[in-house]
Amino acid sequence: MEAVEVEEVTRVFEPRRRGSTRVVALDSVSLTIPTGEIHGLLGPNGAGKTTLVKILSTVLLPTSGRARVLGHDVVGETQAVRPLIGIVFGGERGLYWRLTGRQNLEYWGALYKLPSRVSKARAQQLLERVGLADKADDRVEEYSRGMKQRLHLARGLMGDGKVLFLDEPTTGMDPLAAREFRTLIGELLGEGRTILLATHDMVEAETVCDRVTLIDRGKIIATESPRTLGHLISRFQRIDVDGVSEAVLEEIRAMGGVASVTAVDGAGTRIEVDEEGVTQLVLERLVGAGVSSVRTSLPSLEEVYVQLIGERGMEI
Amino acid sequence: MSAIATTLTIMRHAFRAGLSDYRSMYTWKSWLAGWFVRVLAQVSFFALIGERLGSDERTTFYLLVGNALAVAAVTGVFSLNATSAERWAGTLPLLVASPSSPVIVFGSRGSYLAVDGALSALSGLFVAGAIFGMELPWPRVLLVVPLTMLVAYSCYCFGTFLAGIVFRFRDINSFVVLTSYMTIMAVCGVNVPLTYYPEALEWISRFLPLTNGLLAIRGVFDGDAASAILGDAALEAAVAIGWMTAALLSFNRLASRGRRDGSLDYGA
Amino acid sequence: MYGYLAGLKLEARLIHAHPDSLIPLVTAPLFTIIFLAIVRESGRYDLQPDALMAPVLMSLWWVALQHGGNIITGDRWQNLLESIVAVPTSLASLLLGRVTTVMCLGLVSFFEVWAIGELLFGVSPAFEHPLELVLILVCTAFASAGASVAFAALFVMTRNAYTFTNSAGFPLYLLSGVFVPVAVLPGWIHPVSSVIFMSWSADLLRASMKSAAIDDFWLRLGVVVLLGAVSFLIGRLVLFYVLRRMRTTGELATA
Repeated sequence: MEAVEVEEVTRVFEPRRRGSTRVVALDSVSLTIPTGEIHGLLGPNGAGKTTLVKILSTVLLPTSGRARVLGHDVVGETQAVRPLIGIVFGGERGLYWRLTGRQNLEYWGALYKLPSRVSKARAQQLLERVGLADKADDRVEEYSRGMKQRLHLARGLMGDGKVLFLDEPTTGMDPLAAREFRTLIGELLGEGRTILLATHDMVEAETVCDRVTLIDRGKIIATESPRTLGHLISRFQRIDVDGVSEAVLEEIRAMGGVASVTAVDGAGTRIEVDEEGVTQLVLERLVGAGVSSVRTSLPSLEEVYVQLIGERGMEI
Repeated sequence: MSAIATTLTIMRHAFRAGLSDYRSMYTWKSWLAGWFVRVLAQVSFFALIGERLGSDERTTFYLLVGNALAVAAVTGVFSLNATSAERWAGTLPLLVASPSSPVIVFGSRGSYLAVDGALSALSGLFVAGAIFGMELPWPRVLLVVPLTMLVAYSCYCFGTFLAGIVFRFRDINSFVVLTSYMTIMAVCGVNVPLTYYPEALEWISRFLPLTNGLLAIRGVFDGDAASAILGDAALEAAVAIGWMTAALLSFNRLASRGRRDGSLDYGA
Repeated sequence: MYGYLAGLKLEARLIHAHPDSLIPLVTAPLFTIIFLAIVRESGRYDLQPDALMAPVLMSLWWVALQHGGNIITGDRWQNLLESIVAVPTSLASLLLGRVTTVMCLGLVSFFEVWAIGELLFGVSPAFEHPLELVLILVCTAFASAGASVAFAALFVMTRNAYTFTNSAGFPLYLLSGVFVPVAVLPGWIHPVSSVIFMSWSADLLRASMKSAAIDDFWLRLGVVVLLGAVSFLIGRLVLFYVLRRMRTTGELATA
């Protein structure tokens, strides 16, 4: 039995007011996640990630199609699905801010029908795990963004769900906190859980997930292993450079695997590569030409998409 | 612009800003169907108690007039919410940093509520009065209009002062609003004559808004001498000025202290 | 059961954390003072029991309407509703638990009224029919809980619930005859008042303070309970419908 099965799920939002348009948030999306996998759902804002997470967590009904979590239908068998899942949202919402972290967790434990003793013990355990033990009895309104996020994670685990949905859990976290968070996620998986991680951060998807589904404007573009994604990233690197002679630029332009060499107004030149390993060659040539001001950067998610879609000739 | 002209301009703008806030909450229809129904119900509630007491209609009308004016107190005290909203909007530090005195803004921000209070009280009075068959002594009864406006403004000044107190603390707004206006209802001659309570309490109530103005208004209905009515009205005006002065002084201190100890916050 | 207890405990903690939930504890004593002063100044000492019970009923109405009525809307404003819908416990049982705690708060006003009456005026409620009094109070609290659930469900549907809750207090007090009995009000109001459980409770409470036997006690008490149960059912149905609609349209998150 698969952990999550999504079959041709479509979700349409009808306009609520005059003037607003009909939105197709998900368009015949199909996906399968085997038990024990950390699966990334990667896409820009508005791609449909949150919509899919909401459908799978029984908060939203699909317009058509079917979805099952651990074999139970998310529409018809909500009572069977809910005890088995945990949800972690990103951002500020979803906690009683005048209650303490501990009180919030114990409440959620009760909602998952845990006996009081078990709820208290698990709350303590989780607070320690996410590093909030010494702040457990402070009001949530006094927590920093990162602390609230960790509390969300603890809350998502109170029900001890077999399948966890994490919706952009590191939004607004500083890089250090985000990195610690990802380590924590890795540990969770070791406990036999299945995780669906919705994110718009490519690096996060690459480092944490077993497989990644790319989604955009309600459609699934591809499902890749992180390695492939990693290749995509390193493939489409760009090099920004100042003070290079036209002759050297011509040479580079002629190299195989160099997609473009363009002058950027007042900011030197941008070299884009689209083959693996070419970056190194370009850098070697530039250094050889005596250039010392060089910057490499990764393309944005959007740019990778554009490339990928363009390459595969898919229609959106 | 001269200082006075500037002040008046600021007051006008602040009044308008407050009014637009209010308009976003109420339209004419919802004011009538919502707020006014409540006003009428509140006045009628007490007038009916008067009828139940059975003695004579003087009691009924006593309660009716008192509670109609109490509505002005409710609205006036409620203005502390509007005034302290400046804090949550994060505008206080901006005001302090501006060339104008923030106290003027504070004094005027909720002033539309003084108008609302007067309007509510008067409509409650005349409509409920008609329903309960109260005889209105024309044309003398027209005096009630400016007197009510005075009372409403006086309550508003008190509310502004309270805003200064509430400013220093979080989340006690509702408490302060309810406790203040219910205290006014209890001791300011709204439901029972001032003589019912111990003398000390009567003295204190004279310094609260509504007390003196209500006596003046009752005097109009009872046909008292003009000098008595004017005397009470003058006292009410003095009370209003007193509370507004206290409010402005309090705000000045708040602003300057805030600059020293850093309590002026951009956020909530 | 878990949901009910979880709601009970949560609300107690929230009340502790939000002091302004305790407002009815402030208004009840003040209304007691006002009402007692009115009746005593007029020499109508026989109306003192009415003056004492009215604030208790007003408190129960207030907590049902303002506090309980805003429970779900409040959760929605804090973006909690989505998460709560996804748990194994039902929102209805959670709501009922929270509302029960709120009602207990409302009942505290009885003791406050008693204390104020005694301390300031030397008057206390007449315990002519103590058992009946307790039953009336409990059943009224129960019916108020039902009404509260109905309010909570209905307010999620409307956008301007705030204006309504602000304005509905005194009209309700009037229609329910919390001080002046409905029988004294104009005839056209009677049919409206008769479907409001509070009007029956008010009459029963006043009757329990008189030495004479209470006419048709069980029948009238039954009406209170019935009307309360009907309110609860209405609330339950509306809640079901509202949640379903929200799951379909996706409006759970947006306030």
